[in-house]
Amino acid sequence: MEAMTHGGGAVSDDDLVASEFLTFTLGSEEYAIDILKVQEIRGYEQPTLIANAPPFIKGVINLRGIIVPIVDLRIKFNLGKVEYTPFTVVVILNVAGRVIGAVVDSVSDVFSLTRSQIRQAPDFSGTFDTKYIIGLATVDGRMMIVTDIERLMTSAEMALIDSASE
Amino acid sequence: MTIDMSQFYQVFFEESAEHLATMEGLLLELDIDNPDSEQLNAIFRAAHSIKGSAGTFGFTDLAETTHILENLLDRIRKQELGLRADMVDAFLESGDLLGDMLEAHQGRGQVDPRAVASICARLRQLSANDSVPIEPSLHSAEEGAEVVGLNEPVGKRTFDIQFVPTDVAAKGKGLGNLLDELRSFGSLEVLSQPASDMNNVGYWQLRLVTDAGQDAFSDQIDFIAENGAWRVVEETVTNDADGDFGFFDDSPGAPATDPGYGFFSPVDSSTDLASAVEVPAAKEESYGFFAPLPQVDEGGAAASEASCEDGDGYGFFTPLPSPVPAQHVVEEGDGFGFFESLAPKLAPVQPIEPVTPARVSIPGVVDKAAALPARAAKSQSGVTAAAESSIRVSVEKVDQLINLVGELVITQAMLLQTAAQIQEGAPERLINGLAQLERNTRDLQESVMSIRMMQISFVFSRFPRVVRDLSSKLGKQVELKTSGETTELDKGLIERIADPLTHLIRNSLDHGIELPETRIAAGKSPVGTITLKAYHQGGSIVIEVGDDGAGLPRNKILAKARERGLLVSDQMTDSEVFNLIFEAGFSTADQVTDVSGRGVGMDVVRRNIQSMGGRVEIESMLGVGTRMTVRLPLTLAILDGMSIAVGDQTYILPLSYVVESFQPKVGDIKTLSNQARVIQVRGEFLPVVVLHELFNIRAQSSDFSQGIMVVIDADGIHAALFVDALIGQHQVVIKSLEANYRRVPGISGATIMGDGHVALILDVSAIAGMAKTNLQKAG
Repeated sequence: MEAMTHGGGAVSDDDLVASEFLTFTLGSEEYAIDILKVQEIRGYEQPTLIANAPPFIKGVINLRGIIVPIVDLRIKFNLGKVEYTPFTVVVILNVAGRVIGAVVDSVSDVFSLTRSQIRQAPDFSGTFDTKYIIGLATVDGRMMIVTDIERLMTSAEMALIDSASE
Repeated sequence: MTIDMSQFYQVFFEESAEHLATMEGLLLELDIDNPDSEQLNAIFRAAHSIKGSAGTFGFTDLAETTHILENLLDRIRKQELGLRADMVDAFLESGDLLGDMLEAHQGRGQVDPRAVASICARLRQLSANDSVPIEPSLHSAEEGAEVVGLNEPVGKRTFDIQFVPTDVAAKGKGLGNLLDELRSFGSLEVLSQPASDMNNVGYWQLRLVTDAGQDAFSDQIDFIAENGAWRVVEETVTNDADGDFGFFDDSPGAPATDPGYGFFSPVDSSTDLASAVEVPAAKEESYGFFAPLPQVDEGGAAASEASCEDGDGYGFFTPLPSPVPAQHVVEEGDGFGFFESLAPKLAPVQPIEPVTPARVSIPGVVDKAAALPARAAKSQSGVTAAAESSIRVSVEKVDQLINLVGELVITQAMLLQTAAQIQEGAPERLINGLAQLERNTRDLQESVMSIRMMQISFVFSRFPRVVRDLSSKLGKQVELKTSGETTELDKGLIERIADPLTHLIRNSLDHGIELPETRIAAGKSPVGTITLKAYHQGGSIVIEVGDDGAGLPRNKILAKARERGLLVSDQMTDSEVFNLIFEAGFSTADQVTDVSGRGVGMDVVRRNIQSMGGRVEIESMLGVGTRMTVRLPLTLAILDGMSIAVGDQTYILPLSYVVESFQPKVGDIKTLSNQARVIQVRGEFLPVVVLHELFNIRAQSSDFSQGIMVVIDADGIHAALFVDALIGQHQVVIKSLEANYRRVPGISGATIMGDGHVALILDVSAIAGMAKTNLQKAG
């Protein structure tokens, strides 16, 4: 399991190496993703519908000449109230050589976390499969779910990539 | 010289490959009984250029083989030897071998040294055949030019070489290399060289006894020597007997038969023009003329005249006879070498650049070239036309440019729309400016797109060889006729169409064209014809591969299809039957040959063509012939589209598929088994595709009389597409949806509209296919 390799072993070197994480909220939950996977953050604009796509794929937008699909993580994970206001945020991700936009409730902070700060997540059943979770981290009393966003976005259930979806 | 040559290797490889291709094309065009001297010269030039640069870059194996090839070519073009078919074969083979060597140098594949040795021997044999007979033993063991030494008495020529090396060359390795190089041509003796404390700078005189022509080494000398400061004079030809060599070997002094030597030595500063022109080889004289003698201004006229008489057009590029004293020329030394190597080599690239016929302008040199009398220019026309300026740019950069221009077009459209929306009307100056911008961007887009356009002759040129080789292998007589070679299409398509076309041609040759006996029995000419045609039709380019062979046997195909368990019936139309041959693993060939017949290939051909957005059709008549028609879009980047509205969405329909559009009446649409709908258009029942149902979106109205029917024709399948409204016609830049998302059924791509929004491009073939299957299910 992914979580074992990352969160389990307490290697001293890893303790010192901190990585930056961007946190965003979906409903009442706070998620953290590797900031190096984030290309930019922009406001929501009405995308062009894609025929017969699953409901969480809102469509495609024009990002300076690139066609970028938009995924609403709130719909995907049944979290939060799905409404689109001028404050709705799209995190443009750069994963697996692709550009993908993810709609979230809000973007909160950027944190530095060392490996040792990320604890192994308990096996819980829920909408969010634990295989995409690297671990849990607590900063200032807030718990964050550290997510392997690349693995999540390229997974078959997101239906964003041909090979994975077939 | 300590320049790192390796950085130029890639250019050398590319250029040499181009030269080889040119050579092959010309060889195949050559009329053996009556060869055109221009063509022979061009072949010779190509070989010579390869040799020259191979030598420069130190690829001795290439240089040696080309050298032998060039010798034979030289003799043919000077009409010392008659051209024969076996020579052309040998040339082609050696061309292949050179290609292999090039590949090997780039780390791909290996060259069999025995093959090299045998082709060298064959070329030498051919070269020797009509002249003095040679014992074959001398040739069998030879590897390359090094062995061509004293022990070979045939065609021996003695050259008196004088030159003053440049400082750089003299102090560096250049001079040593030159001497080694010359030694490899034959026996070399140094008659005079500068004093040892001069670091080799100064006047050199050499004597070379070789069987090579002067052209073989004059390049290298030109490279080393100060501009114009060199001269090669051929002395009496000594092809008598071995005994004669002793004389030269043992007499390092000035030989008696040196016509103009003292005359041109650097000490001699007084010049008599008349005597200069009288010297036997007027051509050579004119070069050396100015070199060690700086003060000969009045010599200019004579020199250029002398050079004009040398009408073979070749010397022009090498040591340009300049009507200027030597010191002046030296300042432009760089220009020389540059021009020499650049001009003939860029020839194959030239078609890409039809817009700017400007020549590379190297200061001074070209001006002088232009100043030369018209006669010299005329003899050059073939080369100078090819020397049009062009540059090598990576495709990536061009694509980036195309993308940027695409963005510009979108931004411009956006501005235009914004201006149109200004309430009380935009200021006139703004409107005018925007109109101007629109024109400019359109022009810009067109010219940027044209960069990627290449003539299809780039692909066609390889087929004469394919046909030639294959027909002789199969024992068939085939003539290849091509037309429309100048038709241009996108470079990306050019590269990808080559393989499918080759396959179609091989197929025509193997299965289409019959053996001569069969043809005669059928009352046809024994020589079969394969026609290769390219032309524009609407927004696409059409390439036809036709043959006058046996045609496709309908019954045999049907029988074979049944055998393979395919669903077929006798009622199928011819085109449906013929399309079966594109099924994977389908072959009607009675026996599998190494050419074709395994049934792999045609399915790959169709798949490749479809992946390019094209399609392939077959027409055939038993006993008369077969014609395969490949239709391709002009470019992969831009599309003429019609924008249509469905609900609040905009889609782009490729215009080339649209046949007509009309407003249906309520009663026009009928249902079949309560599922599929059809509409009657001029007596034909077409399946109706309701786009908002297909894409599951809310339409403005599902009432047929409120919308528009668009009749589409995709690969012969007609269907009527029901949409809300037609919006307009646009040229759209195709963007990939798959780059960041995945393939969507019914959608072939996306584009960005003037307002910055994304519009999806409909995949008409897929939609028509869906309509057809729907109908079949219902029917």
